[in-house]
Amino acid sequence: MSAIVSVQAVSKDYQLGKTVVPALREVSLEVNAGEFLSIAGPSGSGKTTLLNLIGCVDTPTGGAVRVSGKDTSRLSERALTDLRLRTIGFIFQSFNLVSVLTVFQNVEFPLLLQGGLSGRERRARVSALLEAVGLQGHGAHRPSELSGGQRQRVAVARALVTRPALVLADEPTANLDSQTGANIIDLMKEMNRKDGTTFIFSTHDPKVMSHASAIVRIADGRITGRELVNGPTA
Amino acid sequence: MTSRLGAASVLLQIAFRNLFASRVKTAIIGGIILLGAVLVVVGSSLLDSIDLGMRQSIQGSLGGNVQVYSRDSKDDLQIYGSMMGSSDLEPVPDFAALKQALLGVPNVKAVVPMGIDRAMVGAGNLIDVVLAKLRADANRILAGDPSPELRRDYEAHKAHVRRMAELLHEELKSARAIADTSTTEYKERHAEYLDLERAMDEGFWARFDADPLGGLEFLENRIAPLSADNAFVFIRYVGTDLDAFAKAFDRMQVVDGQMVPHGQRGILLGKWYAEEYLKLRPAHRLDKIRDAREIQRRRIATDEELQRWVKENAGATRDILLQLDPVKAEEAKVRLQRDLGSQEEDLGKLVADLLAVDDQNFDRHYRAFYDDLAPLLQLYLVNVGDTITIKAPTKTGYMKSVNVKVYGFVQFKGLEKSGIAGVMSLMDLMTWRDLYGHLTAERAREIAELKKSAGLEGLDRDRAEADMFGAATDGPAETKQSRIDEVRLVGHRDEQAARQDRFDRVYSQDEIDQGVVLNAAVILKDPGRMRESMRQIEAAAGKAGLPIKAITWQEASGMVGQFVTLSRLVLYVAVLIIFAVALVIINNAMVMATLQRVKEIGTMRAIGAQRRFVLVMLMVETVFIGLVFGALGAGIGIGILEIIRARGGIPATSDQLNFFFSGPALVPAVGGVSLAVALGIVFLVSVASGLYPAILGTRVTPLEAMSSED
Repeated sequence: MSAIVSVQAVSKDYQLGKTVVPALREVSLEVNAGEFLSIAGPSGSGKTTLLNLIGCVDTPTGGAVRVSGKDTSRLSERALTDLRLRTIGFIFQSFNLVSVLTVFQNVEFPLLLQGGLSGRERRARVSALLEAVGLQGHGAHRPSELSGGQRQRVAVARALVTRPALVLADEPTANLDSQTGANIIDLMKEMNRKDGTTFIFSTHDPKVMSHASAIVRIADGRITGRELVNGPTA
Repeated sequence: MTSRLGAASVLLQIAFRNLFASRVKTAIIGGIILLGAVLVVVGSSLLDSIDLGMRQSIQGSLGGNVQVYSRDSKDDLQIYGSMMGSSDLEPVPDFAALKQALLGVPNVKAVVPMGIDRAMVGAGNLIDVVLAKLRADANRILAGDPSPELRRDYEAHKAHVRRMAELLHEELKSARAIADTSTTEYKERHAEYLDLERAMDEGFWARFDADPLGGLEFLENRIAPLSADNAFVFIRYVGTDLDAFAKAFDRMQVVDGQMVPHGQRGILLGKWYAEEYLKLRPAHRLDKIRDAREIQRRRIATDEELQRWVKENAGATRDILLQLDPVKAEEAKVRLQRDLGSQEEDLGKLVADLLAVDDQNFDRHYRAFYDDLAPLLQLYLVNVGDTITIKAPTKTGYMKSVNVKVYGFVQFKGLEKSGIAGVMSLMDLMTWRDLYGHLTAERAREIAELKKSAGLEGLDRDRAEADMFGAATDGPAETKQSRIDEVRLVGHRDEQAARQDRFDRVYSQDEIDQGVVLNAAVILKDPGRMRESMRQIEAAAGKAGLPIKAITWQEASGMVGQFVTLSRLVLYVAVLIIFAVALVIINNAMVMATLQRVKEIGTMRAIGAQRRFVLVMLMVETVFIGLVFGALGAGIGIGILEIIRARGGIPATSDQLNFFFSGPALVPAVGGVSLAVALGIVFLVSVASGLYPAILGTRVTPLEAMSSED
């Protein structure tokens, strides 16, 4: 099985005034395609930093991050943006929908950035996804008209609309009640199973991480363990 | 729909919805841009129209397209004069040569010779005028004319003079009542007082018929000078080939009277000038009050200047009373008693009542003045058919007087109320040359003949002093009171005939052309090729050996021509300030908006939007506001202009505005250029003010999307 994400001896330091705060200390991690991986750890442990490095929205202080076989340190800013557009989907803790666009337009947005699809194709794909996340009929609504769970479903649809190889989700359930959070994780897992999309999500909620196929534990910027959860996925 | 179009439509939707979401910000930014656009459209359209109006005013009344004058001149040519008076120009000695050279330039349609100057015109005072009439009557009676009409006129004029003496006497009496009796001035005035008593005396008038010329001499020498008003007024004129002038300047209109016949000497007085300087003062003040009330909507009750005019009129009843002989005075009294509903017997008080106008009675009194009193008066100092004496210092320093016949009054269409154009009188070129002091061949010959017939030799330089002062024995030891011999004074009959001949002579076009001028207006066939034609004109004249300089009508009009340029500068500074403020405010607001949307922008960047996308997205917003509100502002501007047009334009409330507007009102046209400029400026300002916030937006990293606080 090939590694879609390869993190090798990656360090990340933050400058906080005059002191250097290490967020990650020589972390190495391989994620295979099709995994449904949870990164677990208390807050401040470096989960988000690790996800940002994998998602090419941040650059490591040391070490190398390879996504889909590409060494991200050798890519230009434009190329990184393009990599995010075509290979990675993002689900955010606070949903991050564009408030002035409708649900449909929010989901369609990455496709428009990508280009290449006709209007008909885009509409078909967006509609299918909205149906898949259970939001058929909500296309014309504004995000403000939806509940938190519904908004995160829109975000899931938006992350998947470009059919990315990898979806990153930083604390996707943190702003949701536990039942809704569980539903979102179920939805993500279903997409993982159906399309084989790799999911990496961070959480500090044991209930949420129990849905994962594998759990990477992280503390104080170091990976403390990797365990498989009750399944044959890995 | 392709994705690029899709992306563009999403951009627009994002922009539009963001604008709608923050309405207050949009309204403020939009409002400023709208104001700027309105100002640019209205302001520049008005100025374009004024520019066009001025162009027409100047080109159509005096300037032509190009003015030429001698390159050796000390001053620049300013056809409307400058603060320093008229420009000191070197004469162009032979206009014919200049004309021939310039007509050789293909784009030149016509060349009109000119000499612009100012002088004094002696119109005589009222007593002089009446005395002159009386003298004419007396001469005819002495010559044996028995007609009863003549007799009646003679008696009326006599009575008029006597009445004038009474009025002056009364005035002097009241002055004496408060004067210090010990001063020498009082003693001098006492002599005047005695003269006036004599002029009022029954005995004087009883003896008058026996020796009218003797009586007239006394009246002319002793009484007429006591009324010193209106002795001389200034006059500004252009000496020109009147026919060529009329053809070249189609705005010229002769009102009252007629055009000076072809080739003859004569003057056309500026109609505005006549109103302003030659009209009976009280009548002129009434006109000014009427214009102030009707055009400027001023009111006597609240306007100090109008009150001053009314007060001045109250003290000017004498101007009117002096004009009325006893018959007319009686008629005036009856008419005014009726008009004013008054039993007052004193005409002076009646006239004072008539002139004491207020806002309630103004229209009624104004009508009464013109309908009933004015027909009994001579409203203008000079009338069509009169001969006036113009006095000017010549180039050589002598005062020169020339008599010239007034053929009519002239005005320029659309500029009737403008002093800048209307102050100018038009004079034939021959008379102008006489005043200018440049000897024409004809005058030189005439003078030589005069000298010969008078037996005068040229003054020897060495003997000049002795000739003038030394030979006291030849001069009269004391002045004897002697009878004026008109014939001897004017000259012998041949000379008189020569003078008369000069007056009636018809000059040929060659005679008019061959002589000195100061400048010339050039009319072009295609005014659009002005600069090119100016070069050709200078070259052509240079080749003919005439060192002339060609300047545009605008340069020739001096300060007047600068007005538009100056106003344009003011407008542009105002627009600049508005848009500078707009730039700062828009920039600020958009920076705030960008900062508020850092998370949204970060999210877009995270999910794959390039920096360029963010840049365009934010720019579209400002440019969208700019164009929408700019277009709206332009629309409102056009609306304002249309309303102005529908109401007949902006009224010209002053002389100057009449000239700038080229008529009584400015009817602005909406210029396509000003519209394009307005939208262009708005576009540039919105791009400039949106650029910094947009660049700020592109610096937002995708990391911003990851922060958990919302």
